[in-house]
Amino acid sequence: MTYDYLKEKKLLLVDDEKDLLTMLVSILSEAGYHNIQTASTVKEALDICRKWQPQLAVLDVMLPDGDGFSLLKEIRRTQDFPVLFLTARGEDEDKFEGLGIGADDYMVKPFLPKELILRINGILRRCYKEETPLVHLAYCSIDFERAEIIREDGHLPLTAKEYELLSALSRNAGRIVTIDMLCEALWGDNPYGYENSLMAHIRRIREKIEQVPSQPESLITVKGLGYKLITKEGHK
Amino acid sequence: MKSIPKLIRRFFSVLLISLFLILFLNFALLYLVTARSRANAGGWDMADKVSAALIKNENGQYILGTNEGQDMGQILKTGNTWAILIDKNNLEVTWHSEDLPSEIPLKYDINMISFLSRAYLKDYPTTTSNHSDGLIVLGFPKDRYWKHIYNTFDYQIIANAPKLLWLFLTVNLFLILFIYLTVTTKLLKTLGPIVDGIQTLPDGQEVYIKEIGLFSEIAQAINRTSEKLRTQERKLRKQEQARANWIAGVSHDIRTPLSMIMGYAGQLEDSPALNQEQHEKAAVIQQQSIRMKNLINDLNLASKLEYNMQPLHTELSDIIPIIRQTVVDFMNLDVENKFPIDWEIDESLTMCMALADKELLKRAVSNLIINAQVHNPQGCILHISVIYQDEICSILVEDDGIGISEEQLLALKNTPHYMLCDSNTNGQRHGLGLMIVRQIAQAHGGTLEFDHGKNGGFLAVIRIPAFLS
Repeated sequence: MTYDYLKEKKLLLVDDEKDLLTMLVSILSEAGYHNIQTASTVKEALDICRKWQPQLAVLDVMLPDGDGFSLLKEIRRTQDFPVLFLTARGEDEDKFEGLGIGADDYMVKPFLPKELILRINGILRRCYKEETPLVHLAYCSIDFERAEIIREDGHLPLTAKEYELLSALSRNAGRIVTIDMLCEALWGDNPYGYENSLMAHIRRIREKIEQVPSQPESLITVKGLGYKLITKEGHK
Repeated sequence: MKSIPKLIRRFFSVLLISLFLILFLNFALLYLVTARSRANAGGWDMADKVSAALIKNENGQYILGTNEGQDMGQILKTGNTWAILIDKNNLEVTWHSEDLPSEIPLKYDINMISFLSRAYLKDYPTTTSNHSDGLIVLGFPKDRYWKHIYNTFDYQIIANAPKLLWLFLTVNLFLILFIYLTVTTKLLKTLGPIVDGIQTLPDGQEVYIKEIGLFSEIAQAINRTSEKLRTQERKLRKQEQARANWIAGVSHDIRTPLSMIMGYAGQLEDSPALNQEQHEKAAVIQQQSIRMKNLINDLNLASKLEYNMQPLHTELSDIIPIIRQTVVDFMNLDVENKFPIDWEIDESLTMCMALADKELLKRAVSNLIINAQVHNPQGCILHISVIYQDEICSILVEDDGIGISEEQLLALKNTPHYMLCDSNTNGQRHGLGLMIVRQIAQAHGGTLEFDHGKNGGFLAVIRIPAFLS
């Protein structure tokens, strides 16, 4: 899957530390983002929001003329673009407050540049879906738009549960997703005792996507822990 | 107070013993005191003896002879006692002893006889005895006897005397008990708060006792002690808070500069403009910054857990998914498959409920995995399992790496971390990671244990109270 269109998005970076802003711009530009503006105060940030309409903001919590939480509340009165907090405040309470008032993610300094890029990519991907591209597997492709499997020998429709299961797995392509997370995705908040049903669904999906269902290549079992979907583009 | 009935019982036995002792002592004293005057008793007896010894001879004269070998005349003389015989027919004195006082009449009427028989004759205490010819009257010196003249008693009183004695005794006992109880209750009322106060002091609660009454000084002392304890506690708390705040502050302020080091080092590591050696150097800067980052996080959490400033967000949850997620997170990060994880859990164990803080529990298991990874940089296989037995959930993290020596294991078990030490330690210091795991286990009411692994590696076990459903 290519997400190059996301690199065109307008990013606003807010931090009172000028050097950090410079570094963030440098990291993000290297990752391909070039529509970036920076602000060091709440006032500047609000100004830019109004005039430039950013599509994602990275906010610090402690700013010289206010704090990031009230800045976000102010922004939310008129705009709804995704926001990621990047702050030195790592207490649970701060995280809960930040996420509670509608932030999409919360990262604590110091951070790994790669992680920041991945998280920004993720938020943008979720928030700005253009068209759902095909997901390519070893022997077939998944068309999420039509909820079907495209194989050389024809198209196979997906049931609602299979669709949900595959989308949860493909969102985390290349990574193990625990049994618990999958049950929760399929059956909601109280996902106890569904493990056998989950296995049944997995078996049916394998019949649709694998060449030899008993020797799966795309949908791998990690014994006792969960499942992993291997896609052609997905990072292994 | 539990000791009150005991106190009353003890007092009562002491009271009873004392009462009997007092009675006994009094009777003994009475006996001793009356021993000497008992020789003087027997005025009536003497009259009988005189009567028996007074005999009429052939000449019609009375002669006072002897009685049981005693010369009665001599006895009367030495006792300053006089005696008369009143004739039963004409009520005239027909005989009298020598030295009869002159005021004693020689003729009597019936009233006089009645009076002298129960009382006095001219102030001389008298006793009487029957004689075949009349009445023998003995008169003693005026200071010899005291006579009870009106000597009648109500018959019922005498008849019921034993009962009355018991009644009096019982009433007296009850009176004493009543007085004792009143006094004791009053005393206990003032003593109660003081005892309660002393019992509360060790719990560290605030104690205030009204400073009145008999024990006001003790109350004052207790109040002062309580205040002092609380002040000390506040001071200590303040110190701990300051220490935790200090660590939190430092770790906060260090985050932004460290971000920049990590950011640029990460960029340089991937920069095509640098050569291989420079890439490696950048990678080292990056790795060491990550170590510092972890250290800061650990230091902050450890100090908070130590001073009870980390609020625990416990909820009843199945802990297996929490551990499973932690394990999977590590497997997803371990792209090179350097630290494969073998997940072992009894298939029948589908659920294991515990009151747990999810984040902290995750942190504890993560720390154990990181510990294994740090000590086995060449890579190792991790065995992670969950066992439920006897309402205890055991989380085992075992590796097949280099393991540790017996001495190291002992030190790990017994030496407190330097952060918790009140003396300077020069011995081996283990990282904060395991200390945090122990703190988290303890915060969940559990323990952390170490041992050698089955395959020569290191084994750490977190045990926390749990139940199946």
